[in-house]
Amino acid sequence: MDTYYSETNHEESPQGGFLSRYVFTTDHKTIGLNYLWLALFSVFLGMAMSLPMRIHLAWPGMHLPLLSSLGNSPERFAALTTLHGSLMVFLVLTAAPQAGFGNYFLPLQIGAREMAFPTLNLLAFWATVASLLGLTTTFFLSPQSAITLWVVSVAIFCAASLVNALNFSVTTIDLRAPGMTLPRLPLTVWAWFLNAILGTLIFSILLAACVCLLSDRLMGTHFFPVLNFVAHQPSGVISNAVPVLWRRLFWFFAQAEVYVAMLPCFGLATHLISTFSRKPVWKERLVVLALCGVGVFGFCVWGQHMFSSGMNPFSPLVFSLLASSLGIPATILVVSWFGTLWNARLQLNTAMLFSLGFISLFLTGGLSGIFLARHDLASAAAVSDDFVTGHFHLVMGVAATFAILGALFFWFPKLFGRRLNEPFGKLHFWLTFAGVYCVFMPMHWLGLIAHSRVSSTTLASLPGASSSIHTFITIAILLTVFAQGLFLINFLWSLFHGERVLECNPWRATTLEWSVSSPPPADDFGASDPVVYRGAYEFSVPEAAEDFVPQHLAPEQVVKARKAGE
Amino acid sequence: MPGTTAVPEIEIIVDDIGGGGGGPTPPPGGGDDGNGDGDDRNRRRRWSPSPKRYSTAITIGIVSILMFFMALASAFIVLRRGSDLWVTVHLPRILWANTCVLLASSFTLESARRRLDLADSSGFRKFWLMTTVLGFLFVGGQLVAWRQLVAQGVYIASNQASSFFYIFTGAHAVHLLGGVGALLFVGFRKSEKTRISLPAATEITSYYWHFMDGLWIFLLALLYLGK
Repeated sequence: MDTYYSETNHEESPQGGFLSRYVFTTDHKTIGLNYLWLALFSVFLGMAMSLPMRIHLAWPGMHLPLLSSLGNSPERFAALTTLHGSLMVFLVLTAAPQAGFGNYFLPLQIGAREMAFPTLNLLAFWATVASLLGLTTTFFLSPQSAITLWVVSVAIFCAASLVNALNFSVTTIDLRAPGMTLPRLPLTVWAWFLNAILGTLIFSILLAACVCLLSDRLMGTHFFPVLNFVAHQPSGVISNAVPVLWRRLFWFFAQAEVYVAMLPCFGLATHLISTFSRKPVWKERLVVLALCGVGVFGFCVWGQHMFSSGMNPFSPLVFSLLASSLGIPATILVVSWFGTLWNARLQLNTAMLFSLGFISLFLTGGLSGIFLARHDLASAAAVSDDFVTGHFHLVMGVAATFAILGALFFWFPKLFGRRLNEPFGKLHFWLTFAGVYCVFMPMHWLGLIAHSRVSSTTLASLPGASSSIHTFITIAILLTVFAQGLFLINFLWSLFHGERVLECNPWRATTLEWSVSSPPPADDFGASDPVVYRGAYEFSVPEAAEDFVPQHLAPEQVVKARKAGE
Repeated sequence: MPGTTAVPEIEIIVDDIGGGGGGPTPPPGGGDDGNGDGDDRNRRRRWSPSPKRYSTAITIGIVSILMFFMALASAFIVLRRGSDLWVTVHLPRILWANTCVLLASSFTLESARRRLDLADSSGFRKFWLMTTVLGFLFVGGQLVAWRQLVAQGVYIASNQASSFFYIFTGAHAVHLLGGVGALLFVGFRKSEKTRISLPAATEITSYYWHFMDGLWIFLLALLYLGK
């Protein structure tokens, strides 16, 4: 964990007063930034973990430094997979777009000077750090105590997320600036808000499941009897016998968790696409409804996973229909993105490229998701999880990461007063974009090959093919991970030497955070409270002097600007 | 001295803005009553988050806690249905007394709030204190119930029904102690130092307290009917 602290120390504390300025501050901007540092650290740690896993899959005989020094056993591999998953899902995909960008920009975008409950916010952040510490420590413990510590850490993370979600929803409901009515909210805020509501519901469920599991492990209760049985077996014996109840509770959470990670990304991508197309979001109200729909359906499709894992819920048809109907809001979003892009004067900077990459990955991943929504195919796919792994990573992992990176390129000038290097960023984008397709497309094929091998014997001659595919994937992963080094270099270099941004609004965007200096002053809006006069996406307005009208500009100022323009 | 007088002023102004908002969505222009005065520094000092945030938070918090208990309840129902060897827990009699204590505390809480409306400060304090004592009494009663079960040899790990009994009562007691904490905080606070006005504080405490009350009835019914 030294790395984390040295990283923050190194990058964040130029002078003294470190504790009061960065550690115990209740300022939403610092807390949001801290979440981003945390996510940055976790994403590189998680990515580093995926390397030994893939290398092991491709060249099983090879001795790997981390794995073999700790005993090159199946438990180590399972521990590595678990840790990779928990770090990426909880601390990157859940924390970065919601808690990171959300904490920083939600108050700025709605015209509030702080979150509704700043102290709780600080508490939630440190609870998240504690859970990261706990999760990472599990790797170095014996399996029995590691599992207990893992559950405790996840429970802490749940509590932190609940507090966060509460804070976000209350802030959005009660702290909006005068004039910031609900229809005028930027779509990023809508996404954060809906996500927070979804979070208050599902993290309680996971917390309850964790409490039961902990009482099983510590007090000898029998909520999940088979799970305890499994945990006490040597690793080879672990069968499909994970009890029904755990599945029910876990998927109740986990299916919705996918949307918890995706919702803010939808918001971010839509926001960026509109800004860099210089066009209003096409059918903005419908997009808001679609975001609501994603939340509602996402909450309801937990039963989907029951048949994916071979257990029959009340009615496969109902859940299959529900899962497929998630396609409706998703389609609305995609159509709106294309409607916005249609005939637009695109500004293809890195932020925009990443949003377009997000659309591409989301479409590809979504298509394979349709296969999984059919319950017969889903149960077949579960036989070999390569297809599911590919689908899941493409949609949730990589697409979400693209949205996060796009948002980072977009907001970097506001966060640090400097720009990220564009040519470097574009190179990084194209390498990553090609890389992830090379990794996850073959993974789908692997899944299909394994499936056909199970169902018929005609393709039994394929193990050779599948092992060469494994090698290809592993090489592609190595290259993709090293491409991220480019990003890290770009990020660190730009932090100190990037091109300075002197104006408030370098992207000529409309929302409130661009009305203040970069980085924003300590009290966000300086002397005068912001007042909002119009919607968030007033681009290419015919009568305006420029091709955008910021939300905070009073109508008389717009007229004045138009006259000056003429 | 000037410092101490300035704070209540801010409080009052904030309350005015909040009152003018009327409903969860502040209407456009609802808060810019100070737009004309031009004293920017003064305006910045006055900015404070809407006081309505406390009641919004308690509402969302209640939904979240409800979800937590619903997950436990659904686990109870699933395991209860799925098991053939369900050993029932004989609910200790004292639970019924505890329930009455908790119901009574809701009544005393409402009486306290009515006294507050009538500006009867000492009556408010009396009933508020009574509610707090009843809250402690309930938690104590739950502990007695646990002791009685332990005396009968029923432990948390004995069987699934007993696990649920202890988890339900334990989780509820923890949440209820949060409510008792709020009661103590409101009862003994120094009113000059807090950001939330007394009527608002009592209101959100009462929401939470009545919710705890209803939740207990639900859990008790679940345990009773699940026998």
